[in-house]
Order: sequence, then structure tokens, then C-alpha cells
Amino acid sequence: MSEEISKLPPQVQERLLRLQQLQQTLQSVLAQKQQVELELTEIEQASSELQKLADNTVIYRAIGSLLVKAEKAKVTADLNERKELLNMRTTVLGKQEERLRGQLKDLQAKLQQDLSPVSPS
Amino acid sequence: MASKVEEEIRRLSVELRFLEQTAEAIRSRSNMVNAVITDLTYADMTLEGLEKEKENSELLVPIGGNSYIKAKLDNPDKVIVGIGAGVSVEKTLQEAKEIVKKRLENLEKTRTSLQQQFAQVAERINEDRGKFEELAAKLRKGKTPKNV
Repeated sequence: MSEEISKLPPQVQERLLRLQQLQQTLQSVLAQKQQVELELTEIEQASSELQKLADNTVIYRAIGSLLVKAEKAKVTADLNERKELLNMRTTVLGKQEERLRGQLKDLQAKLQQDLSPVSPS
Repeated sequence: MASKVEEEIRRLSVELRFLEQTAEAIRSRSNMVNAVITDLTYADMTLEGLEKEKENSELLVPIGGNSYIKAKLDNPDKVIVGIGAGVSVEKTLQEAKEIVKKRLENLEKTRTSLQQQFAQVAERINEDRGKFEELAAKLRKGKTPKNV
């Protein structure tokens, strides 16, 4: 396969390399987005569980492997803050994803043009 | 004729690669679900056992590395249950048992659904492999006379 690639014009080789790089970056952005979304879901679930509890319920917050007693209001506020931060992060990652998909599409179109005369008719 | 077969072989190989990736993803999710099921089953067993213990019973609490510290059971009816995002809530033993049971039920459902998905993908992989072999053989047969 790599031998076949080395027969291609340098410009096309460069584009192929760039395509691979873009695909890898997209994969990494998607993985990060998934991770953030998972954490968001977890926070939302925990928040809705917290809302159901009475204000004087004993609540603990994990700090490393320790569980420390905490107040419901404080924990709720912390979770909301984290949620906001993660929501912002999802927006940023979403924009990155969109931009990368656009770049990939353009590059794929160019490569298809590059390679069409080469492929056996 | 040959190019059509070749095209189909190419399509099948792309599909096969995709299906294999899907199967791998399902397998890794299954492993995760199984690990959580084991963990929860362990918690369920512990809660069942705890129910029979009285206040001030002597306990050995695992701290990892097959090591334990001695502790006394302060209140057998109070259990701390994690609700995700690093937050844990104090529950009665009965409530905790119900939460664990419900989680186990949901995970069992997920496990069954994953097993079904895996079986479907595996069947499709087998079908595609069969077709692939068939076409490859056809292609070989078609090409041999030309070379002779």
C-alpha cells in the first residue's frame, strides 16, 4: 500500500497525509466530546437525584478516595458550575468538529479530483 | 465482469472492517457492563450480610492490596450510596438495597441488549465473509485461464 502511495505525485501524497492527520484530529475531538457529554449526563442525573432529597439529608462529596460531608446547597451549586463549564466545552468542541468536518470534506473532494485520472478506467 | 466482482469485494471488505470495529466496540462495552455488574453484585452481597449484623460488630474494612483495617459498625442502618459526579448520599439499608437492585436490573437489560447486538453483527460478519470468499474464488477462477 505505502509503495503505491509513494508513486503518487508529491502534492497528492501531502494531501493524503493531511487527510489522515485531519481524521485523527477529528477522532480525538469526537472522543473528547463524548467524554464531556458523558460527564454532563452524570452531573444531570446526580443533580436531579439531589433535588429530590430533603435539605437536611446527609451528603458526601468525593475528594480523591475520601468522602467528605457536604451541604446540599453547596454541592448543587458546585455541580451547576461544573455543568456550565462542560456546556461551554461542548460548544467549543462542537465548533471544532464542524470546522474539521468541513476541511475533511474539501480535502476529500480535492483528492477525488487528484486521483480520478489515475484510477483505471 | 471481473471489475464488478472486484468492486463488490472492495465494498465487502470495507463493510467487514466497519462491522469488525462495531463488534469490538460492543465487546468492550459488554466488558464494562460486566465489570459494573460484578461490582454491584458484590455491593448487594455486602448489604445483605450487613443486615444481619448488629451495632458495634467488629469489621475488617478492605483498603486494597489484600489489606484490611479494623473497624466497628457504628450504624448498620445507614449506608452511603454514590449517585454519580462524585456525590454520595446517606440512605437507609433498605433504600440502598433497592437502589443497587434497580441498577443491577437496568444493567442486566443493557447486557442482554448488547448480547443481541453482538449476535446480529457477528452473523452479518459471517455472511459477509462467506460472500467474500465466494467472490474471491470466482475472481481467481476467472483470472487463471488468462494467465495460462
